Amino acid sequence: MKRIVISIAVLAAPLLAAENATFLIRNATVHPVSAPKMENASVLVVGGKIADVGAKLAVKGKVRVIEGKGLHVYPGMIDSGSPIGLSEISSVRETVDTGELGDFNPQLRAIVAVNPESEAIPVTRANGITAVMATPGAIGGRGSGGGIISGQMSLMNLNGWTWEEMEIRPGAALQMTWPVIVSGGGRMGSARMGARQTTFAEAKRNQEQRVQKLREFFEEARRYQAAKAAGAAGFQPDLKFEAMLPVLAGKLPVMVFAAREREIREAVAWAEKERVKLVLAGVRRPGQMTAEIAKKKIPVILGSTFATPLEEDDPYDEPFALPGLLVKAGVKVAFASFGTQFARNLPYEASQAVPFGLPYDEALKSVTLNAAEIWGVADRYGSVEKGKVADLIVTDGDPLEIQTQIKFMYIRGEQVDLESKHTRLYKKYLARP
Amino acid sequence: MRQIIGRLVVWAGCGLALGQAPVRAEAPGLLAIQDARIVTVSGGVIEKGTVVVRDGIIAEVGAAAAVPKGAWVVDGKGLTVYPGLIDGLSTWGIPQAAAAAPAAAGRGGGAPVGGPGGSPAAAPRSWGPQDRPGTTSWVKAADLVKLEDRRIETARGAGFTTAVTFPKQGLVAGHGAVVNLGGETSGRMIVDPGAGLYLSMTPSGYTGYPSSPMGILAYFRQLWIDAGYYRLAKAMYAQNPANVKRPDYDRALEGVLEAKRVLLPAASPVALERILKLASDLKAPFVVYGVVQGYAMADRLKQAGTPVVLNVKWPTRERDADPEREESLRTLEIRDKAPASPAALAAAGVKFAVSSDGIDAPKDVIRALKKSIDLGLKKEDALKALTLNAAEIYGLAGKLGSIDKGKIANLVVTDGDLFDDKTKVKMVFVDGVKFLPPPEAPQTGPGGVSGRPSMAAGEEN
Repeated sequence: MKRIVISIAVLAAPLLAAENATFLIRNATVHPVSAPKMENASVLVVGGKIADVGAKLAVKGKVRVIEGKGLHVYPGMIDSGSPIGLSEISSVRETVDTGELGDFNPQLRAIVAVNPESEAIPVTRANGITAVMATPGAIGGRGSGGGIISGQMSLMNLNGWTWEEMEIRPGAALQMTWPVIVSGGGRMGSARMGARQTTFAEAKRNQEQRVQKLREFFEEARRYQAAKAAGAAGFQPDLKFEAMLPVLAGKLPVMVFAAREREIREAVAWAEKERVKLVLAGVRRPGQMTAEIAKKKIPVILGSTFATPLEEDDPYDEPFALPGLLVKAGVKVAFASFGTQFARNLPYEASQAVPFGLPYDEALKSVTLNAAEIWGVADRYGSVEKGKVADLIVTDGDPLEIQTQIKFMYIRGEQVDLESKHTRLYKKYLARP
Repeated sequence: MRQIIGRLVVWAGCGLALGQAPVRAEAPGLLAIQDARIVTVSGGVIEKGTVVVRDGIIAEVGAAAAVPKGAWVVDGKGLTVYPGLIDGLSTWGIPQAAAAAPAAAGRGGGAPVGGPGGSPAAAPRSWGPQDRPGTTSWVKAADLVKLEDRRIETARGAGFTTAVTFPKQGLVAGHGAVVNLGGETSGRMIVDPGAGLYLSMTPSGYTGYPSSPMGILAYFRQLWIDAGYYRLAKAMYAQNPANVKRPDYDRALEGVLEAKRVLLPAASPVALERILKLASDLKAPFVVYGVVQGYAMADRLKQAGTPVVLNVKWPTRERDADPEREESLRTLEIRDKAPASPAALAAAGVKFAVSSDGIDAPKDVIRALKKSIDLGLKKEDALKALTLNAAEIYGLAGKLGSIDKGKIANLVVTDGDLFDDKTKVKMVFVDGVKFLPPPEAPQTGPGGVSGRPSMAAGEEN
């Protein structure tokens, strides 16, 4: 008991409201994700951590009790890629902090640019999302800038007065976009006056040059690594190369945007050669590479399923069916919104794929435990298990269903306000005379 | 006479200097092609007959036509005579540089728009129909045709004697001309300087309005409304100059009023619908050109009673295409079915000519039709598309398109069936003047006429 008190006291120091971070949810249906659901179960949270999960928990001392009858407990959901906090209104340039200029910016950390006051954060929370991989670059060629290596993605929770309070892993992965061969001059019939036609040979040469630049950058980083290890005379620290050291050591994964088979094939071959830990993102048409990705155990971050098919002749359900196809092939997938205002739709991106072949359990994992595993925080996040951080949602149903309401949310055991701009406007117009 | 000798000396000198002699074509006033197979197009085939040409006009044709005294006789044994082929929509005769005519718009005879010191290449900005975007309706192909265009000779070598040539730059590019592909001066080449006004749906020569099909169609309507008003204003002024304000001269509207017919583009069935609607608003006789999906448009074209100039540059995969790019079914379908368009149009009873648009080698126009013949087009229909149909579409059926008494003596003489790839064009007559096809690998001297319009009757044969 004394030890518990001490540990609570230790934890309480950095967390202002640690005393509130101790509570018991009882008589609820608990969905640990890592294990089958438990009816009439309880979750004990002590000092922001899950102290126990079970049917009958022995609770010592006086603990705040939350009655969970008819409610469900899930882990908070994780969005595996969103510029939330960095981009407020995508079409107003002054509010967009992503997409720094230059091709190689591994030293940039997304989280330092995050605005904790973003209106999008409470809106996103309202649907049960507690953590986000903040992306420093433009997504998959959308928007301007971002280059090849856009910077470090930061895993952060969606609660805090400052970005420091939101930190989970400030450097969780490197964001990269595989150079694409873009030939032709727009689609048939849409050719505009002055639109320049790029021949395939020309486009291929441009792309090869960019890949060559990438190889050279990695080679330079290796030379830096060697010079640093050897303590070479006149060694000068360089933030860009410093940021590359964990990548070269295989510790920091590289999330590479590659939508089509050719880019995926090239990215996979490149990652193998450079011996970097690869995570693929924005995959749309993996084709023959599906089996290869599965075999090499390369995780895939999927973007929104609410998309039109990539090619004119693709079936209408191509974006809906892709997650199921990948999972059936044995690929570990997680979902990302890759957007700010639609980050709130993350759970529905996953559920939309369920009737088209994605097993329900995998859909739930793809927004919780799979993401935690891919980003290297599965020891602390992604499921309702003893010892993990108490990022929890209490709902009146399945959070992947649109009708479900999130009743309570806890981030690090702290109850989080579920009000947002949406609810404020709802109330405002409800009260309109 | 002395003058003529002098000129011959000059010509000979030129020939020596250039290494090739652009010998002047001079028609013998009277000639006869004897004992040849004659495909008249209008009246069937004469297996063995004679064509008599007098002063560039077909004077007589028939199995029993007599060779007049003093006529220069071409032995037609083993040869076939066709009417000269007509390219129904062309740029032949307008040298490439001139084809990109200055597209400066504006009312009256205004100077080209452009900022002070601005580059002449900068396209003028258009804010609305009043700026007459991409409109050069005063431009006439007849004024741009130059004998030096080296495509004239290769076209003739393939059997073409006539091209309906258009300026193509801009939305309202200008007036086409029916041009004979031979003659001493460009003036002599012109058969009809008013073939029609060429409208395009591809913005060029300006920036700004209009940039959408919606805007372009609205612009055409406004232009025709303006032209109608202009005509009324001029008529009122002519009747009563004392009391009516004198209307401003507007060359763009003058050009519109001058048009005998309008050429409107429609590649697909959807484009055709909007073009038919536009045409009914413009109340102008029209010809549909740029037809690609003719196989899907035949019935509608028949119903509308519209003549067509068909594109026979059958779509192909781009040579430099991304090998991993899958092509859409729509693209593949068009590529597969387009060559069947002529057969579909003929079966539906649509009158169609063909265009060399997009085809570099004139002979490939005939090869393209050969492909359609293999897909079910009747040979007679293919030949008509290349001859009489074009003449009829442009209102010149009395002058061109078949081997009939009184028509212009535009003839092709071959050693076999026109659509047989092995067949060679032996000689071509344009306005009764004989030309030999250029050698197989045509020399292309800088800016010059290669090969030779053969005359000097005796020497060559």
